[in-house]
Amino acid sequence: MAIRVLIAKPGLDGHDRGALVIAQGLRDAGMEVIYTGIRQTPKQIVAAAIQEDVACIGLSSLSGAHMNSFLEVARLLREQNAENILLIGGGVIPDEDVATLKGAGVSEVFLPGSTIASIAKYIEENVKTRDLSFDIGGCTVKGVHHVGVLVNNIDDILPFYLQTLVFHVVADEQLTEHGVRSVILAANDSLVELIEPIHSASSAAKQLASRGPGVHHIAYEVEDLEACLARLTQLGMRLVDSAPRVGAQGHLVAFVHPKSTGGALTELVQTKRGETDAR
Amino acid sequence: MGEGQGRPLKLTGEGLIQDGERETTEISKPSGIPTKRVYEPQDGVLAEEYERRLGRPGEFPFTRGVKKSMYRGKLWTMRQYAGYGSAEQTNKRFRYLLSAGQTGLSVAFDLPTQIGYDASHPMSNGEVGKVGVSVSSLLDMEALFHEIPLDEVSTSMTINAPAAILLAMYLVVAEKQTVPWDKVAGTVQNDILKEYVARGTYIFPPEPSMRLTVDVMEFCRRHVPRWNTISISGYHMREAGATAVQELAFTLADAIAYVRAAQKRGLEVDEFAPRLSFFFNAHNDFFEEIAKFRAARRMWAHIMRDQFGAKDERSMQLRFHTQTAGSTLTAAQPENNVVRVTMQALSAVLGGTQSLHTNAFDEALALPTEESARTALRTQQIIAYETHVADTVDPLAGSYYLESLTDSLEREASRYLAEIDAMGGAVAAISSGYMQREIHRAAYEAQRRIDAQEQVVVGVNRFAAVSEAPSHNLLQVDPNLQASCTKRLSDLRRNRDEAVVNECLSSLRAAANGTDNLMPSIIAAVRAYATIGEMCDALRDVFGEYHPSVF
Repeated sequence: MAIRVLIAKPGLDGHDRGALVIAQGLRDAGMEVIYTGIRQTPKQIVAAAIQEDVACIGLSSLSGAHMNSFLEVARLLREQNAENILLIGGGVIPDEDVATLKGAGVSEVFLPGSTIASIAKYIEENVKTRDLSFDIGGCTVKGVHHVGVLVNNIDDILPFYLQTLVFHVVADEQLTEHGVRSVILAANDSLVELIEPIHSASSAAKQLASRGPGVHHIAYEVEDLEACLARLTQLGMRLVDSAPRVGAQGHLVAFVHPKSTGGALTELVQTKRGETDAR
Repeated sequence: MGEGQGRPLKLTGEGLIQDGERETTEISKPSGIPTKRVYEPQDGVLAEEYERRLGRPGEFPFTRGVKKSMYRGKLWTMRQYAGYGSAEQTNKRFRYLLSAGQTGLSVAFDLPTQIGYDASHPMSNGEVGKVGVSVSSLLDMEALFHEIPLDEVSTSMTINAPAAILLAMYLVVAEKQTVPWDKVAGTVQNDILKEYVARGTYIFPPEPSMRLTVDVMEFCRRHVPRWNTISISGYHMREAGATAVQELAFTLADAIAYVRAAQKRGLEVDEFAPRLSFFFNAHNDFFEEIAKFRAARRMWAHIMRDQFGAKDERSMQLRFHTQTAGSTLTAAQPENNVVRVTMQALSAVLGGTQSLHTNAFDEALALPTEESARTALRTQQIIAYETHVADTVDPLAGSYYLESLTDSLEREASRYLAEIDAMGGAVAAISSGYMQREIHRAAYEAQRRIDAQEQVVVGVNRFAAVSEAPSHNLLQVDPNLQASCTKRLSDLRRNRDEAVVNECLSSLRAAANGTDNLMPSIIAAVRAYATIGEMCDALRDVFGEYHPSVF
């Protein structure tokens, strides 16, 4: 997937030769580039970056206002929890300012004389690709979604997660179809699901009786669950669920049998549209 | 010195041009003009063509210069662009430059001033006093020219969208020094068209902006006869990436648009054209730059005489200011920039410039310090007083190569002019983004050539130093300046007569809604200490603001 970059001119400076040349150069290097035009406030730049879902912001200033505008963009990114956006800058910037900028959220500063190739390379090597997706033959797997842990009593173990590990509760549901209570806990990007059987006929209850509490399953987020199940069937894998079911938080889920996965119960999750980023 | 001692010296020949390499390879230049290995008499100007193609110095078509005696009569004006921080600080720098032998002032305003915001406006955050001096009201202008006699110096002001307002402030300061307006000399840049193309300090849309430009021309013709009402600038387009040919063509295209606009107002060509002046860039390609200046003079003379029917020779004489090319300065090994500036300045002098700004070597890093600004001025003085290049007029005339190059530049630029004319002129070519796209393409190509090492930048992509010298002392602008300017503004608002200010601003608004020349209402508002932000806001109310499409 092409890296999306926002090239922006903060402040009143109208010298946009550099910004335009970099924008074109990064496009030619295969990136998707949005150029804001001149006279943008830091607020407008951060809003555009979030709205356009870019992986990198490149700021250009030749008027000496960089200590003001670059630092304000960095501050706003922190404030909006968007620090994962790589922030770089360039222009007429004295060495001692470069050091300050780099200590305050600007990852790199490119001075006159930098080549487009060096800037493109830096971006490629340093953007945080939030989307760790890989393709398993027509079905995109986006990465680990959560780990499920089977317990005797959720309320007994909650203090460990909430106080010692500082997770917070995202959902607490009775999944009658699965015969369990499910509590989803989150800390930053990590999710853990605690599972407690609510009636003795459930498979979770049987497993608890035979193997005791512990790690229950690992769940991967997929883009299209039906396509994934079709692909796994095609590969001859044994599925617990041959069709998607509704699981915790209303997401579509299906389990793959441990026999096909080296002993680890594996869940596939297709999140409800638009909720991936809010998790 | 000590660092390299004891280390064995290795001669790798890296970066050097190989024997014979330049004999066979084609020399390609951004302008697209090819260079032959050698030029011969038939490439130059034959004796029988002399009068028609060159003319004697001071005679049509002025290829050799606008004055008969050129620098034998008077050296070019050494006019260093300066300004930073507060009006008081810049006043100090001005007085220093005048005492160091500078012969004219050139004011750099900060971006809020250039875009018509008071220093206290939120859009001014971080920009106050940065690229020039902050001027919000007459109070600042008084401080800026404190104890500088305005009947003795000429002052050039790089101001465009609010040029009428800053000129009004200058005239009111002269008034307070009891200097009559007909003794006041100087220039306002007042060239809005190139702001849309390259420099970016526009406020209003093209049509009302052109009206303000012509208002200044009309007003000065009557009241400030020694004032150059516009400095039609190729400089910034060149900085934005234009080739020499584009710089020449687009500048003349803009000039033609201004002449047409003034004619439409009912002004006679010979009434205003003698006060039009130009501003060009002196870039790295030494001979091409000299040829550009000479071609510009010849083209303008023909345009004014043949296209606009000018009768007064002064209307046909292209007088210009030159600045060395800031974009050629490197942040690496900054002392090399002194040499670049020297060569560029020499091309401007050999091209017959009327005034010159030489850049300071540290401008790729920050605004110049007093020390680097002095070296820049000294560079001009060494050219003027030590090298003898100014002893004879147009010393390179008749060079087979230079005359051939002058013809090529004229031919290529004329091609662009015809194209722009077919589009409906400069305003149309700018509105459609044509000039912007052409310049951007050239800029991108220049960067590609540098990155691919097809174009050499010494100290950057060839002969780069392994270890960089520590950076020099750089100029710091007081970060609290915005706060002190804001306080000065609130003090001003307490002390001035608000009723008079409001009345002046409503008359300005009313005048803007009509068709009268705006200068008298602007001067009245300036006298009442209305601020630049207040005056521009009044005009914004009527004219609206310009929002460019991104080309």
